[in-house]
Amino acid sequence: MDVELTEILEALCQHAPFNEMADDPQLNDMTKEIEIRYVRTGEWVIAPSAPNSTLYFIRSGALEVLSKENKLIRRMNEGELFGYYSLLRGGKSSQSMRTIEDSLLYCIPARWFLKLYEENDIFSDFFELAREVRLRVAMESQNSDVSLMTCPVVSLLRRPPISADMSSSIRNAAQVMAEHRVSSLLITENDELTGIVTDRDLRTRAVAEGLPYDTPVSEIMTHDPIVMDSGDYASEAVLKMMERNVHHIPIVKNGRPIGVVSTGDIIQKESHGSVYLISDIYKQTSIEGLQSISRKMTHTFTQLVLADANTQMIGNAMSHIGTAFVKRLLQLAEEKYGPPPVPYCFIALGSQAREEQTIKTDQDNALILSDKYNKKLHGEYFEALTDWVCNNLDKCGYDLCTGDIMASNPRWRQPLSVWKDNFSEWIQKPKAEALLRLSIFFDLRGVYGDKTLALQLNQHIRKEAQEHSGFLTFMARNANQRKPPLGFFRQFVLDGEGEQSRTFNLKERGIAPIIDIVRVHALACGSDKLNTLERIEDIEAAGLLPNGRAKDLTLALEMIGMIRIQHQKEQIENGEEPNNHVNPENLSSFEKRNLRDAFHIVSRQQEFIKFRYAGKRS
Amino acid sequence: MGKLLMKNQSKEGIQDWQAMFAEWAEEAPEGPLKRYYQAGMIAPQTALQDTPLLALDLETTGLDPSQDEIISLGLIPLSHKTIRCQGAKYWMAKPQCSLNAESVTIHEITHSELEEAPRLHAILDEILLALTHQVIVVHCVAIERQFLLEASMKIYGYPLYFPVLDTMDIERQATFKPWWQRFGRRPSLRLDACRQRYKLPRYKAHHALTDALSSAELLQAQISYHMDPNADISNYWV
Repeated sequence: MDVELTEILEALCQHAPFNEMADDPQLNDMTKEIEIRYVRTGEWVIAPSAPNSTLYFIRSGALEVLSKENKLIRRMNEGELFGYYSLLRGGKSSQSMRTIEDSLLYCIPARWFLKLYEENDIFSDFFELAREVRLRVAMESQNSDVSLMTCPVVSLLRRPPISADMSSSIRNAAQVMAEHRVSSLLITENDELTGIVTDRDLRTRAVAEGLPYDTPVSEIMTHDPIVMDSGDYASEAVLKMMERNVHHIPIVKNGRPIGVVSTGDIIQKESHGSVYLISDIYKQTSIEGLQSISRKMTHTFTQLVLADANTQMIGNAMSHIGTAFVKRLLQLAEEKYGPPPVPYCFIALGSQAREEQTIKTDQDNALILSDKYNKKLHGEYFEALTDWVCNNLDKCGYDLCTGDIMASNPRWRQPLSVWKDNFSEWIQKPKAEALLRLSIFFDLRGVYGDKTLALQLNQHIRKEAQEHSGFLTFMARNANQRKPPLGFFRQFVLDGEGEQSRTFNLKERGIAPIIDIVRVHALACGSDKLNTLERIEDIEAAGLLPNGRAKDLTLALEMIGMIRIQHQKEQIENGEEPNNHVNPENLSSFEKRNLRDAFHIVSRQQEFIKFRYAGKRS
Repeated sequence: MGKLLMKNQSKEGIQDWQAMFAEWAEEAPEGPLKRYYQAGMIAPQTALQDTPLLALDLETTGLDPSQDEIISLGLIPLSHKTIRCQGAKYWMAKPQCSLNAESVTIHEITHSELEEAPRLHAILDEILLALTHQVIVVHCVAIERQFLLEASMKIYGYPLYFPVLDTMDIERQATFKPWWQRFGRRPSLRLDACRQRYKLPRYKAHHALTDALSSAELLQAQISYHMDPNADISNYWV
């Protein structure tokens, strides 16, 4: 007699994707191979880094999904499936699953998952769609907002613990503090933390009380101070400080003190140091001074990465630093060559204009001159000014542009009316080849001088682009030139040349295509934004993208950007020159998986603009 | 492990199904039942985690084993950790007497379905084969054991016995508190009520295979809460 496990089949069929597969006879066969497990609260279903060969269906109960770093990614309840990620990747799992309620799980063998994935479109679509949702979840779990929320308190430690023995005199303690320039001192007994003494304790409990210098420090210290564990978040330290009105918290690891976090450390952290760096830039009066600051930039960059800043924050900080260099150099140039004879605007192009700079970028800039400009009268001044600025930018780490798109090139140093004519020409009579080189000009931001010149030019560009839809067809075509490096079976396609033969270029093949896609849409809807994420918001508001797709683009950009930043940070730490070439073998499986998902989104969006701005058939 | 539920049996008191099977293998008349006993039973010292388990449930025409008949039987194999749908089996058997309306409404097996089913004697050989060497899991041993014993007597002329883990009995022990600790009524030992204590889902009752599955799941929950997978099976079987 044919055995039908009605109860199990019915339970499955109440949830996606099975609810739409009811007429697939395979489902009944699959059900017969299910194994059922009862798992008590708190037990691992997929233990960290354990392999997995099962698709799990939660019949009852609830689970939590944890990242490799043991961060909670999400919770899952009755009717949800998990484990398929590792099945698609040959059994390796980077996430772990643990029950948070007593749970009854249906275990579907991997071969059934793969079979249905191959043969049933409803089934495979379900997991395809889930991919974008998953990417979102993965990104959100990275918690991209304020760094204090996500950085562990240890990352605030700036030096090893400074301590003194219980039996030390208060004079001795003060000497140690003075020597190390610290405002607090840990007091220990046999290496165990017993107390803490701060500047304030010395002031109020020792000096004001007139205690003799040889009083043991234990008399004025705070006994058994509030401590935090090295794994705690910095945000918890802030809360504790406010709550208890203390300014120093010892941090312990395995019971031993490893340092002290002070309110000062937290304020410093909040400002990321980049604010200080920028104010330092404006204080410099010499190229040497600016150069010395530029050498600190890699440090600022790695600090930002360590602080869990997202790519948007980092891009913003790096761009503002870049802008500060440009402004300061122009101020110094004007001191050197005198005030400008006619108004001008120094414009940043490309990533700096979009405020998406990373650590290593060429300079891409230009100059818009007022229409009062007369080459015979003013040409020499601006040539000298821009030469000086561009060469010194080079000295400050912003390499000269290999394509010579710089203000020092007379071709890119033009009065506003000439710029407008140039853009009209590019937009009205687009030539594919030329546009490819010129796309950088469509991200244009005034950084110094008369910024209304840049605004007027941007207005002109928007108007022309919207009036000439044929131009968008060309831009869309250009945006499709660089394909994400995904081949058959979702393998990464490597770029394969010389030293980079085992790598692919994240910027060329991931970030640039997204920026290009977004730029096309932005031009189509007349957005006046330059930053890619802000453009995406405008595009979404204009209804140019199907529901949810705008968010996908943001996530893909953030994910690829994040991996690029991590990669560059590691290169810096290894003493290498940061670049965009990533070897997939060096990526964690979490990164690989999310990168694949992100590239997949890019591909789909490229397909979409091809169709959206198809233009007339030729 | 938390509190363990175990009967304090003295060495002599151990129920040795292995020895009893050997004895019955001698006595039973030639045929399927003799072969069933000859296949033997696991030793009482076998650990619970190594015990081959088979959840069983049957539906009958009524509650009296001497009068009523088995009309369906479901089996599902399991270990202390996993229930395997792969080995699930289900039979229907056409009763001698006609069904009364009352029992039809309980188990929703209709006359026409049963009309096409074989008689129990035609399938009992097959059922015995499935039961061979297995420790049976049921909720409330009295019913299943008695009905199968009666059927065996009728068909083979010799009783069918088998070791059982009774999820109702396990639950009774697990929830037992002396009267002075007990407030209010003793918790219900019905299958559905037991399952709810372990947050197991509600199932539609009265389908032999679903009920077998139900008690299989209940046993897994009970093992994880109250029983020691390393302990001898003789601590638990009845």
